[in-house]
Amino acid sequence: MRRSGAKPSPGEETARVSAPAATSGWRIFRGEEGWPQSLTELPAVDEAEPQVLFGSGARDLLTEFDPDRTVTIVGSRRSGSYGREVARELGFGAASAGLLVVSGMALGCDSAAHEGALDANGATIAVLGGPADVPYPRSKEPLYRRILASGGAVISEQPSGTETHPSFFPARNRIMAALAGWVVIVEGAHRSGTQHTVKQAAKLGREVLAVPGPVNSSLSELPNELLSEGAPVVRDAQDLLDHVLGPGQTQVRGVGPELESELLAALIAVEGGAGTCDAVAMQLDLDGNAAAVALARLELMGYVAGSAVGRYSRTQLTPPLP
Amino acid sequence: MPIARIQTFTLLGVDAFDVTIEVDVAQGLPSFSVVGLPDAAVRESRERVRSAVKNSDFDFPDRRIVASLAPADLRKAGPGFDLGIAAGLLVSSGQLPEDALRSCAMAAELALDGSVRAVPGAIAMAERAGELGIEKIVVARDSAAEAAMPAALGAHRCKVVPLDHLRDLTYLGTTGEPCHSPQDLEPDDSALMLGVDLEELRGQPTLRRALEAVAAGAHGMLILGPPGAGKSLAARRLPTIMPPLEDPEAMEVLRIASACGQNGWHGRGRGPHRAHRPFRAPHHTISPAGLVGGGTPPRPGEVTLAHRGVLFLDELGEFSRNSLEALRQPLEDGEVTISRVRHSVRLPSRFVLIAASNPCPCGHGEDSPKCNCSALAAQRYRNRISGALADRIDISLSIEQPSSEALAGEPGEPSAVVRERVVRARQAAMARQGCANADLGPAALRLHVPLSKEARRELTSGHTKLGLSGRGHDRVRRVARTLADLGGREEVSAEDIDGALAFRRRSAK
Repeated sequence: MRRSGAKPSPGEETARVSAPAATSGWRIFRGEEGWPQSLTELPAVDEAEPQVLFGSGARDLLTEFDPDRTVTIVGSRRSGSYGREVARELGFGAASAGLLVVSGMALGCDSAAHEGALDANGATIAVLGGPADVPYPRSKEPLYRRILASGGAVISEQPSGTETHPSFFPARNRIMAALAGWVVIVEGAHRSGTQHTVKQAAKLGREVLAVPGPVNSSLSELPNELLSEGAPVVRDAQDLLDHVLGPGQTQVRGVGPELESELLAALIAVEGGAGTCDAVAMQLDLDGNAAAVALARLELMGYVAGSAVGRYSRTQLTPPLP
Repeated sequence: MPIARIQTFTLLGVDAFDVTIEVDVAQGLPSFSVVGLPDAAVRESRERVRSAVKNSDFDFPDRRIVASLAPADLRKAGPGFDLGIAAGLLVSSGQLPEDALRSCAMAAELALDGSVRAVPGAIAMAERAGELGIEKIVVARDSAAEAAMPAALGAHRCKVVPLDHLRDLTYLGTTGEPCHSPQDLEPDDSALMLGVDLEELRGQPTLRRALEAVAAGAHGMLILGPPGAGKSLAARRLPTIMPPLEDPEAMEVLRIASACGQNGWHGRGRGPHRAHRPFRAPHHTISPAGLVGGGTPPRPGEVTLAHRGVLFLDELGEFSRNSLEALRQPLEDGEVTISRVRHSVRLPSRFVLIAASNPCPCGHGEDSPKCNCSALAAQRYRNRISGALADRIDISLSIEQPSSEALAGEPGEPSAVVRERVVRARQAAMARQGCANADLGPAALRLHVPLSKEARRELTSGHTKLGLSGRGHDRVRRVARTLADLGGREEVSAEDIDGALAFRRRSAK
């Protein structure tokens, strides 16, 4: 097959994908009214300030922009369920507290952060490497539509019709780092795009927060190193909000319905790492059926969540104090 | 010279179709031809017949011999026409009396020395012979037991004449005619027949509960777990706890095995008088035709060989999409229809589907820090199970490697004990609705799954909190019905719903 046949030309792709978005396309020039002031700090650290930003969706998200109420949540593209769940929860918590969530719509953590924010009916901005009217990666087109449909925005430096090039992504990372007052690293390996974002944020003097990860996973290298260097730790959305809004300003941890003693025991077992019916049954010396019933009840009450492969993990909901 | 007519059969799928052999021995240059769309094996039967006749103290006539297989437009396959052609030739050349073959069907292959060999499909052929009202069917001694089975079940009275050698044809119609007396079917004991027992599954209480529910309700099941967790071990033992085959079901199983030449009639000892639930575990490189059947003439595939038993798809994510899509019809209809230009063949395929898969391509599971699969690859792996397959999977569970204590500990409950509970649950289901719980449609679900007040509340909250789809809702009710049957409850309780919710298939985020 000819090379040109394999890849649609940029024009074609734009025409096909962006038809609905084209109506809401807009742009904002540097220095124009509403240009995010946080971007003007870029030249001070020898980075180019974007000349223009192209966008789709809600323009006022960018023009009425407050970096102090904005968090950038980034992480690895190849993160597992841990990274994705944490990113989703942080996105959810931040958006529920009225913060604007910025991320890159990449696979893994980025998308999860957007989804979390959208689940909380919050606002979110996706900063893309390629043009703002083309969902990238393509598999995230549903998310792209959802962001636009629920009052979010997608922005990019690249004009419509540009073909995505690998060098766009580091450039995109500097915008993500510069936009928000806080940058949260969920997961990331050394020499990754996430590390690039961290460097830019540090240069700009943005506060970088990190989510601790398992020490034997390469995806925890970056956050754990940041933590050892003294970065604030983010264990859950509450930690993040305490940093951004001041300690105790907003409470995210919900309080769930009351638990019978067997359910409480099962919940503690899950907290202790028992992820399957068998593990819970063994730990509590229950028969398998009772453990399955307990886990299903906890899931219905929202205390635990099952992953796609059917393993249970603890959610943010806390049981009421006795 | 009279024209001899012999009734015989050809196999299409697992059914026997009537074929009449007409043999004419006429004046003319010596020749021997077989007409009527014979395949290579049928055409070569000329050579076998020639040698067998010569070596059986008969004369091979030096005349113009034509054997015609009617109907002329049906393609005939296999060596089963040898005996019929030879017998026709002997009658037509006056070496056997014409009335010896009156109301007599034949199906066997000839060896060069005249001895008679068994051919696949004797059960289907004897059944068809009985339907036609034929008095006796002549087969090789090795397949006599098979051919006598329809009569043993009282379907009809077609006498079975076992033959060792072509020369024994002279006894036909005389008082010295051999006869095979039918034997009764022995009861199904799959544990004995398969040589495995559920007690070998140690630990894994959740998996055991799921297996029991699958056996009782005939639900489809998906097992996710790392290599070595016992997925195949468990699936292989499922037939041993399923309810024993009823006689008509056993007959279907034996009939299919017979048509596929699997009844051990080559002296391997496993006589056909005992059926067991089959267990089929095709390799993931299998083609769609190998899985559901195909070819010319159509041959049964793995789904038909698994009829009334278990089809186990290990490494589900590695099967080709085409193969999995081909399972749609057998899963929905319980049979496969293979259409060819001149005819279509229906192959029965009612089986319990067990699928096993690693949680992700590397096997560690996305939850594990050791997993280095990209999110996309893992998602693609999970997405394989979709459409028709997903609709039939009522029970899904994730298992882990059993602990060393469990492995070193006591053996688990033996198959016979579990099977008793399963049989009771299945009987309750059959008495209530006349089918297994997995086959309950939406309307039947409303009728036969009465929910207690708490159960109804639990299900409603599953619907709102867990985002159950309509079909997911039905699956939960079906499984809850089975759990209640196993517990001996007529009304489905909240615990049953909870247990079924824990077994539900989770969609990937």
